Order: sequence, then C-alpha cells, then structure tokens
Amino acid sequence: MSREAMQRAVALCGALLLCVALIFVLRERRGPYFARPLTVMDHAGVREHETREALLLIPQVEPLLPRGAEVTCFRPRKGQAWNDDGVYLTAVGLLPHQSVLPPWTAGANLRGQQVTQYVIAVGAPLDHPSYAAVAQFPQGWLYKRR
Amino acid sequence: MSHAVWVAASLLFVLFGIADRELDVSSRLAVRFATGIAIGGTVMWAESLVGIPWTRVALVIPLLLFAGCWSLMRGQRHEAPATSNQQLNFALQIAPILALAIYAAATARETSGDLLYFWGPKAQRFFFAQKIDADFLAFPHYFLMHPDYPPLQPLVYVWSSIAAHRFSYWGATFLTPLYLVTAVLAFRGYAARPIGSAKANTFATLLAALLAFGFAKSQAAGGADPQLVMFAIVALSAITFADATPIAAIALAGAAFTKVEGAAFAIVVVIAYTLVRRDWRRTAILGLPAAILLGSWILFARAHGLVDTYARGRTPLHFENLGLVLAVTAVEARYGAMGLPWIAALAPIAFARNWRRAALPLLVAAASIAYTIFFYLHEPNAAWWIRASAERVLLTPLAALLVATAAASE
Repeated sequence: MSREAMQRAVALCGALLLCVALIFVLRERRGPYFARPLTVMDHAGVREHETREALLLIPQVEPLLPRGAEVTCFRPRKGQAWNDDGVYLTAVGLLPHQSVLPPWTAGANLRGQQVTQYVIAVGAPLDHPSYAAVAQFPQGWLYKRR
Repeated sequence: MSHAVWVAASLLFVLFGIADRELDVSSRLAVRFATGIAIGGTVMWAESLVGIPWTRVALVIPLLLFAGCWSLMRGQRHEAPATSNQQLNFALQIAPILALAIYAAATARETSGDLLYFWGPKAQRFFFAQKIDADFLAFPHYFLMHPDYPPLQPLVYVWSSIAAHRFSYWGATFLTPLYLVTAVLAFRGYAARPIGSAKANTFATLLAALLAFGFAKSQAAGGADPQLVMFAIVALSAITFADATPIAAIALAGAAFTKVEGAAFAIVVVIAYTLVRRDWRRTAILGLPAAILLGSWILFARAHGLVDTYARGRTPLHFENLGLVLAVTAVEARYGAMGLPWIAALAPIAFARNWRRAALPLLVAAASIAYTIFFYLHEPNAAWWIRASAERVLLTPLAALLVATAAASE
C-alpha cells in the first residue's frame, strides 16, 4: 500500500469513527428519535432543557398580552420568584412586542403597583397576594396584577 | 413553510459574495455564501449607523451595486474546472454525514441555549427595530445578553427574518448544517489544486465528520460558533492552499464580527501570516477589513456604554488557576470520546511531506489554543465557564489542525 493510500485510509477511518461517535451522541439525547419535536430544545441534552416548558407556554400566552405590557416570566420556586435567568431571557425573544422584565420585579417583598403588570408562571403556580390568575395552560399560568 | 423561506433567504447571500473563479462551481458558491454574509452584514451595519431602516429595497440595492462593481472589476471570466467523477464520489462520501447533521438539527438534538438566551432575542429586537437597537442592548436588565458581543450572527438572522416576515428559531438551527457544507466545500475547493482532488475529497470528508460531530457534541446549533468556524476554515484554506488574500481578509472580518474569539483568531492569523510569508502588503490587506469592522463596532459600543467583554482584557490574570484551567480544558477537549476529534485530525499527519505549507495553519492552531487558555485565565472561577464552552471554542483550533494535516499531505 502506498504512502498516499495509507494516509487516505487513515483519514477515512477517522471520519467513520467520528460518524459512529456522532450517532452515540445523538442517541443519548433521548427519544423519540423519529418524531417531530415540539420545540427547538426538545432533545438538547440528556435531561429536559430548562426552557422547554417556557417555549411551549409563551406562544399560547402571547395573544392575551397587550402590546407594550410589562411582563416577567419564571418557574416559581415554592410559589415565589427567583433569578430564573434562562427562562426570563428566553421570554425576551418570544415576546418582542412586550417589555420583559426580570423575575425580581414580581418578588415576594413587593406589593400593589410595585410589581410588574403580568407574570407568566412556568410549570408551577405563583403565590403572591398582588396577582390573580387570568388563564391556565397545560404548562403554566398567566397572572395579572390585581 | 415560513421556516423554509427563512432558511432559503439566507442563501441569497450567495448573490452578494465574491469568490475565486479558479474554484469549481460548488466551492465557488460556498465561498460566495461565506463572503456574502460578511459583506451583507457590513452593509446592514453601515445602514444602521447612518440611520437607514432595514427594508428589502434598502438592503438589496447597495448589495447588488457592490456585486455588479466587483464583477466588472474582475473582468474576463476564467473557465472553472470541469465536473468529474471525483465530485460524484465526494458527494456520495459526505451525503451520509450531511444526513446525520441535518437529522441532528431537525430533531433539536444540537441546539445551543445561547440561541434562546441572547442571539435569538437580539435578532428579534433588531428585526422589529430595523436597526441595531442600542437602547435595547443598553437596557440594564438585559446585561446578561452580552451587549457588546459583535452583531454579525443576529444580523444574518435579521436578514432572513426580513424576507420571511418573522424570526425563526428553527431556521436558525438549520443554518448550522448549511455552515458545515459551506466550510467543507470551500476547503475542498482550495485544497484540490495543491494536494489533488482525491486527497482533497478525503480530507473534506474528514472535515465534514469532524464538524458534524463537534457541532452536535458541543450543542452549537443556532449559536455563533458554527458561523465562526465556517469563516475560520474559509480564511485559512484561502491563504494556506492559495494566495486568495482578499477572500481570506473578508472571511477574517466575518470572524471578527461574529464572536469575540473571532477577533483573537483574526489577530493570530495575521501574525502567523506575517511570520510565514513575510509579505507586508498582503498582511495589510489581510487584516485591514477585520480591523475596520471590529474597530467601528467597539467605538459604537463605547459610545452607547455597552463595552463589557472587550474591557475584560484589563482584568487581572489568575495564573494561580493555570493548573486547574489546563486540567479542566483537557478533560473537555476529550469531547467525551477519548479525544477522538484530535486523533482523527492529527493521525494522517504521520504521513506528512510538506511541513512548509502546513506551518501557517499549525501556528494558528497552536495560537488558538493559547488564546483560549488566556481567556479562561481571566475568570477567577473558570471551571464552570470551561465546561460550558470549551467543546465549542476548541472547534476552531481543531479545524485549523485539520487544514494543517491536509496541507502537510501535499
């Protein structure tokens, strides 16, 4: 076997092994393997991505929100807001006609007019005296300031 | 349907790019696509600076004028090499790899979180504002979106959104296989002349497998790394296998305008080129577009109080973390596959003949690893950052190594 043929064989072996490794990577990102995903993050990682439920919920909530409304979005912990940056930043992209603010603007220490107008609570209900639920969806709730 | 329109609109960049006419048709289209992105992004940036709102007419007219002028300047058309069985063989070789890459994007198996956290939101807001919205970037609550990151990635998304009348997260993920094909075809086109079509096809197949694996493993789709790697490969191939300095200069400008690491990449390429070629005139041509484009962006960022990442060069280096940074980077560099990408890229170099041609990309690969470590040393608690980014960031030196391996095979 010539030097050149050896070199090409080694390179093609490398390509083949990388393809096998790629198939393993794709396999470990959970099934179903041939179903149309609902969101762009459905199989991003070995566990469900933090933004997946928000990606499903926010497009359902969006028609209920007035243009220019101030809104925040997070996954409540024990019914309270926390620095859920991933979900909040995702909402900025999904709600281009609203003003999306960070979760602390619906913090437990704020009351009445101090809190943001709307809260999108992903995955768990919000427990805050200044908010009332206005709509419920399979992935969460929309709250409006009382 | 609008997702398909969105992706198809990005292909229009082919109309406004430039390429060497000595390349075969597919490689020429690939190089035109890559340079078209850089040129189109520059026009969008210039219009935003002078206050022209982005519309289809406002964007297409200056780009068509540019493309027409370039065509007239180039003069007589050269005959492109004829298509041959080699091209058919190559198409058959990369078809399964491309199918895997498209499958990965279509089933949401390689999407980057950064697409949702900042690249997508920036593109959405710029699209509705019809400009680079400095007020949005400067909004204190959006500080986590890295306001001074260069804007070429969102500009490409805005371009397609203008055509499709909406932004598409799916479209953004599908650009990754497109960047992969572009990088592979451009590499193959430039490599074919010095190392021969058969070997160029083999190394292009290896490059396709390397990028398909790397993009999926590092979950890069929709983020800026696939675009950066594409520009890096176009630039390196153009100056390693040919003397296509203007093409490399445009690709380097694209890299510098895509990611912060792209600026570091452009600098190391210019330095390596100076050391290896010792041609000052060409060195100036190589670095000037990137310097002008990035310089204008940093001035804009400074004027609007956006500078953050570019100011980190002044923060202290944590040399006490060097051992930790090297160890964690080494672990991440294994790509969960015992370092297979490095082995695959380097193994054929055992049969090397032409180290002279390989010197430039080898220097760039080494320097790219060095600047990656340098960036990590600026962070006091770097381990989390390395785990989150090393697999993506190391794709650039990996690609440079593969270019070097191919060049050494001449």
